Amino acid sequence: MEKWTRAAVRDILSAADIMSFLGTIGGSWVEKGRTWRRIVATVWSVALTACLPRYWPRTTRNVFVRQILFTAVEASKFIALVAFMVGLSVVVQSQYWLTKLGQSHLLGPVLVMVIVRELGPLLVNFIIIGRSGTAMAIELGNMKLSGEVRALDAQGLDPFTYLVLPRVAGAAVSVFCLTIIFIVVSFISGYFCGLLMGANTGHPSLFIKSIFEAVQQADVLNVLIKTLVCGAMTGVICCTEGLSVSTATTEVPQAATRAVVRSTAALFIISAIVSLVTYL
Amino acid sequence: MTSASILHLDRVSLAAQLPYAQDLTEITLELCAGELGLVLVPPHSDGFPLADLAEGLVTPDSGSIKFEDMDWEDMLPDQAAAARGRIGRVFEKRGWISNLDMDENITLAERHHTTRPLAEIEVEALTLAKRFGFDDLPRVRPALLRGGDLRRAAWIRALLGAPTLILLEHPLREIPSANAAQLLDTVQAARTRGAAALWIAESFQGLENHREHFSRVWKLEGARLAAAKE
Repeated sequence: MEKWTRAAVRDILSAADIMSFLGTIGGSWVEKGRTWRRIVATVWSVALTACLPRYWPRTTRNVFVRQILFTAVEASKFIALVAFMVGLSVVVQSQYWLTKLGQSHLLGPVLVMVIVRELGPLLVNFIIIGRSGTAMAIELGNMKLSGEVRALDAQGLDPFTYLVLPRVAGAAVSVFCLTIIFIVVSFISGYFCGLLMGANTGHPSLFIKSIFEAVQQADVLNVLIKTLVCGAMTGVICCTEGLSVSTATTEVPQAATRAVVRSTAALFIISAIVSLVTYL
Repeated sequence: MTSASILHLDRVSLAAQLPYAQDLTEITLELCAGELGLVLVPPHSDGFPLADLAEGLVTPDSGSIKFEDMDWEDMLPDQAAAARGRIGRVFEKRGWISNLDMDENITLAERHHTTRPLAEIEVEALTLAKRFGFDDLPRVRPALLRGGDLRRAAWIRALLGAPTLILLEHPLREIPSANAAQLLDTVQAARTRGAAALWIAESFQGLENHREHFSRVWKLEGARLAAAKE
């Protein structure tokens, strides 16, 4: 019986099969590694190119301004609304419970830790991925399919300079600005809602002072990386996924889905690494 | 004194591959400053790669392509982009950016490659627009313009600025034959200042009375170009 089983296993799982199975797993990981290496290389290229004025002709500046209008200005009301809700729940609760525990002096550090370090950048990035990242991937996918990218190339407008650079820079700047708006609105709404609900909010100047005293250099660095780098990653991932569309319209929604998944993964990975490196 | 070579394809071969539907074998073609060449292609031969080859957008399987005596293969990406900025083109089809208005589309390359004031570019575009029968520069999205109007708008874009090379792929499609003279006169003005032009058409239809404009004529026979007039 044992002999028969061993023979069967040997027949089913020959060494070649096992190697093929391992090769398939390894191959997919190698491919993933290549994809991420390409994304990081593109972010780096954008960062270097963005520093050179000759890559910012008026047409590229125009696309950059439009990107800021779409990603930052048009989204600012929604971001403010979300920030208001976060202020209502997180700031008011923090005030209430810390006062109850007699630890109201910890209000500033707790709020900075929760809102400035983590929640603000994370939520704003999430909203931008869902709202603007998908739009970017779909727009560029459709442009590629309809031959517009080729038409740009034929007129001497490098798709990287005209399409990718301003969108990535616009996304990064927008995420940073919206995060600042998010933080300010959530603190203001939290303070005044706490006041209305009878939490022991104290004088506004004391509230502001406790927050400013809690902010450290590391927090500023943390916000800068989590907004500028994550925003740029979102832009690069969504642009490259959109431009990877080649033959059929059915590829466009698939590219948008991949863009959201990869951007979200990049956001969590970068946020976790930055938090660990900055605060541990 | 010989004129400067603007475009030189030397024994260029390209196997048909998407998006192209036409093989090319050992094509040799040269255009010098001031010349207008005509390439006659068989009817319904969309996907003809000659214009893309001339712009260095596709690498040939063999042979070399030079623009202004510089091989596209030897150019750096920035150099190639700048060189393409000196080429005006009427595309076989499409060629418009759907989320830009027509006036933005028409002036896009000129705004990108030069620092000329926008007002000056628009005045030049408006002059060309009026020459080609528009009352004003079209300012709507490309999707809202009819085929013939899109084609005339493409003429404006191809001739705006001072292109060194003008590639005209079926420029009279959906256009009344009577309008050919407007385009040929403007192309003639560009040639006088030293540009070369390459016209791709299926036949002399619409050009019967303008044969004298063409300094060279080639005919596509199978996958080869045969000189019909030197």
